[in-house]
Amino acid sequence: MPRQYQPPRNNALDWVGGSDAPEKSSLNIGFMALTDSASLIVAATQEFAQPYGLRLNLRRQASWTALSERLHSGELDAAQGLYGLIYAMQLGLAGLPAKPMAVLMGLAQNGQSITLSSRLQLAGVTDSEALLQHVRQAGAPLTLAHTFPTGTHAMWLYYWLASLGIHPLRDIDTAVVPPAQMVAHLRAGRIDGFCAGEPWGAQAVQQQQGFTLCTSQQLWPDHPEKVLACTREFVETCPNAARALVMAVLEASRFLDANEENRRAAANLLSADEYLAAPAEDILPRFLGAYTDGNGHAWRDNHRLRFCAEGAVNMPYLSDGMWFLTQFRRWGLLREEPDYGGLTSAVQQTALYAEAASQLGLTVPPAMRSSTLFDGTHWDGSDPAAYARSFALHALTGSRSLASC
Amino acid sequence: MRILLIDDTAQKLGRLKAALVAAGFEVIEESGLVIDLPKRVEALCPDVILIDSESPGRDVLAQVVLVSRDQPRPIVLFTDEQDPGVMRQAIKSGVSAYIVAGIQSERLQPILDVAMARFESDQALRAQLHEREAQLAERKRIELAKGLLMKMKSCNEEEAYTLMRRQAMSRQQKLIQVAEQIIAMQDMLNN
Repeated sequence: MPRQYQPPRNNALDWVGGSDAPEKSSLNIGFMALTDSASLIVAATQEFAQPYGLRLNLRRQASWTALSERLHSGELDAAQGLYGLIYAMQLGLAGLPAKPMAVLMGLAQNGQSITLSSRLQLAGVTDSEALLQHVRQAGAPLTLAHTFPTGTHAMWLYYWLASLGIHPLRDIDTAVVPPAQMVAHLRAGRIDGFCAGEPWGAQAVQQQQGFTLCTSQQLWPDHPEKVLACTREFVETCPNAARALVMAVLEASRFLDANEENRRAAANLLSADEYLAAPAEDILPRFLGAYTDGNGHAWRDNHRLRFCAEGAVNMPYLSDGMWFLTQFRRWGLLREEPDYGGLTSAVQQTALYAEAASQLGLTVPPAMRSSTLFDGTHWDGSDPAAYARSFALHALTGSRSLASC
Repeated sequence: MRILLIDDTAQKLGRLKAALVAAGFEVIEESGLVIDLPKRVEALCPDVILIDSESPGRDVLAQVVLVSRDQPRPIVLFTDEQDPGVMRQAIKSGVSAYIVAGIQSERLQPILDVAMARFESDQALRAQLHEREAQLAERKRIELAKGLLMKMKSCNEEEAYTLMRRQAMSRQQKLIQVAEQIIAMQDMLNN
């Protein structure tokens, strides 16, 4: 039953002293140098957690691997996460012993991009059709980078390449590069393109090292992107701290979506050395939805990076978690059919989220949502096993097409 | 475990050292009551400090207070003094364990274990209390600045917070920094 909205309490002692008091008064929060870490950075520095008796200590991580290790060890209480990383930790596919994990809330939707190098652009590879031709003809395979072996960006890149008829595991080489190092790798010619969060795609365009071939919102408008994650142990031993954290980040998310002025100011904050260490002019345009692709196109995006949308972004939808499991299955990371329903209802903390959101007067949407992707396929989580098997290109183990190779 | 031993017995009996050695502990230094215990702790970095004192006086406890304040360590006091007042005073000064009535080698390990555990939980509580106090103090400053801004701009609470946050973010600062600037400005205008 949703509780009535109560404005944040003025006397912090009421909260600290009450039975809702956070079990820990200070949390270490991991984040990566990415535009979509904005709600965490704003929540921590602008004291959105203070009314709940909670201090958030930001801890920037150099790579998703480093972040996952510190989340696993407990050095970080909670962190910005990739769906693909959190489920890999849960399943023991992240190079660490399997550990029960928790997705507390969605942090953002949209706002990633696939960039190709200026060298390819000069060679005439300026659209997906030309990329397909290039891959079919060229001698040496292209190297395309993403940010974590089982990560969200690997899944976006694989999905998109496969839709063109390019098999991501056979027709190209892939590399794992931390997002903030993508542009340097592109400049050095070590990679031919990458899929990562902003501002790194925008920076490649800005520095004339590459062009944006595709945004993630073109693949899947309002797709699930970063999440706020922790171990199950944390949410079980510190439920009040976890709920207060979700409430604080929800309020910061709402603040970021409230108006352009808030976003402009936030872009300045993000550009600081201790957060993204990138010029504000690389961050701001796409943060506001103004895209130029470095390939002759400019547009105002109707599905720009968003943080709240009155809570539509933040529900840890079961169907969002399931989608990544279907892609794990599709690409052979899972050799057997996972228990889609069981896994997602254990990881996605829908009840805790609903409690936090309704205390802030946000509508709590149903735990399953339906979407249509750019290739016309429909996803609503109703039959994940069949969905995972429905793709022409895949690496399903034991399947006929793999056996015939 | 690095043990610093302070022998404050009148005849320098050395009874504690003998018991420690018998129980297999390594004693990094043994000395009489030094004038500057904090300095010795800083130089030697012991894991635990044991004090053997027939009757701990104010000079001993004053040293304990200093160590607890500046470089907290588990401190175990072995003594013959049974006066509850002295015991209370010692605990208040920062002693983790107060052991009366004899030193037996076989009892040392459990005594040290309990003292270490007690010390760690005290430290955690103290840190949390300190953190909560600091948070409250900061929150009060932000509330004060918000109130000043509401008056200056004739705006409501939410608008005042938004203005402060925008200002802070635009300057790559934290909310508390802008709050302090508003308060400082107000002080200047009033004087």
